[in-house]
Amino acid sequence: MSSASAIRLQVESKLAQRVPAALSLKIRQAPELFETGIAEVDAALNGGIPRGSITEVAGAASTGKTSFGLSAIAAITRSGAACAWIDVSDALSPESAAAAGIELKRLLWLRTTGERKQKVTDRPWSRLEQALKATDLLLQSGGFAAIVLDMSDVLPQHTIRIPLATWYRFRLAAEQARTALIFLSQAPCASSCAALALRCEPMCVRSFSSHGETALFESQNYTLVRERNRHGNSPFLQKKPSVRAEWSAETPWSRVR
Amino acid sequence: MYAVFHPPNFPVQAASRTRPDLRKRPFALLHGDPPAEVVFAANKAARSLGIEIGMARLQAESFPGVVTLPRLLDHERSADTILNAIACTFSPRIEYVETHPGTYALDIQGMTSLYGDEVQLATKMRQRIMSAGLLANVAVSHNFHVALCLASRKSGVSIVPPGHEAVAMRDLDLGVLNLEPMHEQTLRSWGVRTCGELAAFPESDLIARIGQAGKRLHSLSRGDWSHLMFPIEPSFEESLVEHIELEFPVEILESLLFLLRRMTDVILDRAKSKARAIASLQLVLSLNGGKHHERIVRPALPLQDTATLLKLLQLDLETHPPSAAIVGLELRAQSAAPHRAQHGLFLPQAPEPGRLEVLLARMGKLLGEQRVGSPELIDDYRPTAFRMVPFAPPPPVRSATSSLPVSTALRISRPLQVIGVVLSGNRPTAVFWDRQKYVVRGCAGPWRVSGQWWSEAVWSREEWDVQLATGVAVRVCRIAFDPRSRSWYVQGTYD
Repeated sequence: MSSASAIRLQVESKLAQRVPAALSLKIRQAPELFETGIAEVDAALNGGIPRGSITEVAGAASTGKTSFGLSAIAAITRSGAACAWIDVSDALSPESAAAAGIELKRLLWLRTTGERKQKVTDRPWSRLEQALKATDLLLQSGGFAAIVLDMSDVLPQHTIRIPLATWYRFRLAAEQARTALIFLSQAPCASSCAALALRCEPMCVRSFSSHGETALFESQNYTLVRERNRHGNSPFLQKKPSVRAEWSAETPWSRVR
Repeated sequence: MYAVFHPPNFPVQAASRTRPDLRKRPFALLHGDPPAEVVFAANKAARSLGIEIGMARLQAESFPGVVTLPRLLDHERSADTILNAIACTFSPRIEYVETHPGTYALDIQGMTSLYGDEVQLATKMRQRIMSAGLLANVAVSHNFHVALCLASRKSGVSIVPPGHEAVAMRDLDLGVLNLEPMHEQTLRSWGVRTCGELAAFPESDLIARIGQAGKRLHSLSRGDWSHLMFPIEPSFEESLVEHIELEFPVEILESLLFLLRRMTDVILDRAKSKARAIASLQLVLSLNGGKHHERIVRPALPLQDTATLLKLLQLDLETHPPSAAIVGLELRAQSAAPHRAQHGLFLPQAPEPGRLEVLLARMGKLLGEQRVGSPELIDDYRPTAFRMVPFAPPPPVRSATSSLPVSTALRISRPLQVIGVVLSGNRPTAVFWDRQKYVVRGCAGPWRVSGQWWSEAVWSREEWDVQLATGVAVRVCRIAFDPRSRSWYVQGTYD
């Protein structure tokens, strides 16, 4: 045995209690991905959203965050797994969820409230506190393939106040629970803790169709920009995926037409 | 080895036990609704005077010196309880013989080391019954039916050595076999009076003449008809109860949890001993002032885990605390077969049932019970009608991929936000919402919806899908006009 190997072995054995295999090369496993149900987005994300990591989707109102989240959850519940939706603003429409194809029995919907214990506190921070605590409990309990923390209606000045330690804790817990943790917010808040950061850009305005009759809201175009994808730099990938993905969503009644 | 004790004329003995003065007097027990009461039982002195079973009350009262009493079931029950307690002291396996009131059969296998041989055991048993104020015949035999027949016919103690069952039965009257009237008539017509005479018949010939019942009767009369014993066992569900009275009223919940843990442990051990799990826990708290606070915890699946059950109890009590200090606790449990599931390596991820129960209870405490669960759509004309149901995910099964296009989601405003709308030619042109002015770039509508016009809960509105622009940002919303309140509000935002 060479002296370098002997020293390495000695160092590793010394550190074994604190850092197992400190000097050995770790082979990084390719992350398991969940399809989002939107072909254009899946192509841009190199397969879908990562499991056991944080995915952050940020954007203003009407930029397709909720449609994206519902579509991803629908694809996961169809695979037979259970999901959770933590609704900070109590804004989820069960009709929209059903129209997106979510199996509602596999969806745990947690609706935060500003009225608890006979004390009206309509401050968004109390709702956020409840949502963060609920996320913690869900991650500790495990068993959920995906958890969506919907903070779409919370102003950025409130989400930015969430301590960074919370996101680090969530990242570790999500990794251990093998849960895809999805944040929907107006502005990025999880910073480097998010393995995948997506930005929803303001849509190009599409006028309501009329077909010569009464105007009808039929579909909407959305743009998703990939800001960061920690798992996307695979050396085996020949073709780099596009950074932007343009997709469209239809209203449920337009399917009838 | 069976020992059977039989108190002859049990109702009379039970009545005279409570009133010893009746023992030396003729008396009859009457049963039935007045005035159609009939003699149900009578002691030997009364019978010797001419009292017969089934006699009317007036007839019985016409006998001078005979006391008539109504039959009291409570007396019989208390006498039966005493006999049961005596039987339990002699054997752990006892069976109540329903055809003979007050009669118990004991499996005394292995009990001779405690009570001596069969004779000593039977004698001690008889003496114990006599000291309780009752008189019983005791018979011991390897055959249950032989012991029962002897105890019901022969007074005192009868011991049948092994192999002598037929001899013991030989001189007994046919009535001990509890014959059906038809068979009794047939056998009497043949001149058969005793069991020995019946046993002397060839079995096949007896079966050929009176049918399959003949085999049983023949075997009984020979003393070799086997018996499957069904020992009396205390009701298992009734044993899953724990009760504690506190010396001082307790207000702090945490200190109660120590007691609850002990009680849950004891109940769960009892359930586990029968390979059962806890399906529900009912906690009754006796409060200061005489009130009671009752809570029931029902896990989705039967549990065998004390920690989980205790956590569920704790969370339930924290969500629904008692109104006063606690002075007593009673914990009742209902058992069920434990949950078993076949897991698979390749099945999708699903929450563990026990953990999920605790998680949902915690969430209920954090957010409110009505705000945790799965949404379920209601078959209603009102848009966005739904109800919350408890979250219970079905077994993981992969369903077919959807071929439908991606749907636009609507984010509902809860509660509804009132807005100001500027109309031009009956169409909205500007919206004032949250102290900001939005220009309507495009609108589709109105979509008129209404319902419940037949009741006070009538509702109607005109809905518009509008593109609201402020500077560069555009948002698509659904706004609605309520004709009843003459107000506009935002129903939701498409996102």
